[in-house]
Amino acid sequence: MAAEPEDAPAVAVTVVRTGGLAGLSRRWHAVGGEESDLVALVHRCPWDDCGEDAAAPEGADRFTWSVSAVCGSEERHAELAEHDLDGPWRELVDAVRERARSVPAPQE
Amino acid sequence: MARANVSHMHAIVPPYLLARLAATQEPHLAHAAEAARATLAVAREYRPVRGRLDLSVDGDALVVEVSPAPDRVISDAQNRTTLPGVRVRGEDDPATGDRAADEAFDGLGATFDMYWDAFRRASIDGVGGTMAATVHYGVDYDNAFWNGERMVFGDGDGEVFAGFTRSVTVIAHELSHGVIENAGGLEYTGQSGALNESIADVFGALTEQHLQGQSVDEASWLIGAGIFTDAVQGTALRSMSAPGTAYDDDVLGRDPQPGHMADYVETTEDNGGVHINSGIPNRAFHLAAMALGGHAWERAGRIWYLTLTGGRLSPRSDFAAFAAATRATAAEEYGEDSEEAAAVRDAWTGVGVIEDGR
Repeated sequence: MAAEPEDAPAVAVTVVRTGGLAGLSRRWHAVGGEESDLVALVHRCPWDDCGEDAAAPEGADRFTWSVSAVCGSEERHAELAEHDLDGPWRELVDAVRERARSVPAPQE
Repeated sequence: MARANVSHMHAIVPPYLLARLAATQEPHLAHAAEAARATLAVAREYRPVRGRLDLSVDGDALVVEVSPAPDRVISDAQNRTTLPGVRVRGEDDPATGDRAADEAFDGLGATFDMYWDAFRRASIDGVGGTMAATVHYGVDYDNAFWNGERMVFGDGDGEVFAGFTRSVTVIAHELSHGVIENAGGLEYTGQSGALNESIADVFGALTEQHLQGQSVDEASWLIGAGIFTDAVQGTALRSMSAPGTAYDDDVLGRDPQPGHMADYVETTEDNGGVHINSGIPNRAFHLAAMALGGHAWERAGRIWYLTLTGGRLSPRSDFAAFAAATRATAAEEYGEDSEEAAAVRDAWTGVGVIEDGR
């Protein structure tokens, strides 16, 4: 197994928001060192309670959120409906968005 | 002699008449009296429906016409995410002075008018129910949505979106999600979800055209024109006439909508691309409307509306099923060999949903 580069961040989080009335994809990415509060925020999220697919939304034009985190050797991923984005998820997403400059998600 | 013609949407036997009938001792009315007593025994819910009273004189006759009127309630979330928020305007209240609240109020009125004038549908539920909306949802909230009960509008972040109540197409789009749900619904994923989105766009565009009295040639066929800030390189969220051309921006990227099945986008994002692949049925409607000319709500819109409400769809209908349903509706309403049936067939052929037009 290849050794990680010495300057690899301790934590890297990518947030992708899709859907909404506009149907726009927006992506935010943030990294941090071992002392970053992102590490604690990642660990506070209930990753194991989330399936791979976001629950069907109520109504129409709601956002859906995809959150991916690499924390050391641990990789986590969650798909969230808008109403799931509460508590620690909301804190993590807000933290990533604050740190990151928004860039367009690549077109598929 | 003055004559009054009064039409009511809902006729019920008034309670005083039922009471008299219930009390009658006439033998030949025994059955009716029993029925009246049974009817009176059932708890009844009276739900008044708002109406417009139009008076006119025809010769020596006074003509009274009653038509349904909107019943709107606008609430203000005060930048929180708790619904419904604080009520700020009801149907008989004056303008609030708050731009978003008043735009939502006016937009709901324009949508109500289009549905009634074009399709004789009164409100979201078809029977004059209240249309509820909340404005100023969240902080810098970049969206507008239908939550199953009400329309909800964010203010936008001021950088990309300037506000979601600025386009009547957006307001009518959200209300139309309620109409679609009321008509039986289309599952919000994949092709049925894209149909849900497209139908909401169709009635959003028709509302703007109806409000402005536009023919198909005069209409912009844009959804959400005016809600982007000046910093965005784009004119609207979507173009029904030319999907994929609404914006091309450094931050937002390029409008990803296809206008033909050959370019259908397979994706897991956006509930399976419901706002992306809606470009295909959007363009089909545009083609049908352009072929028929005039006011789009009169024939193309009517065919789409009757298809939605006529029981031909299932919640999982895909593009092909919807195309077949619109063709059946057009044939039923206008004839197999009609101009309308041909326009609908050619429209679906034009976007590749029907391969050979047969």
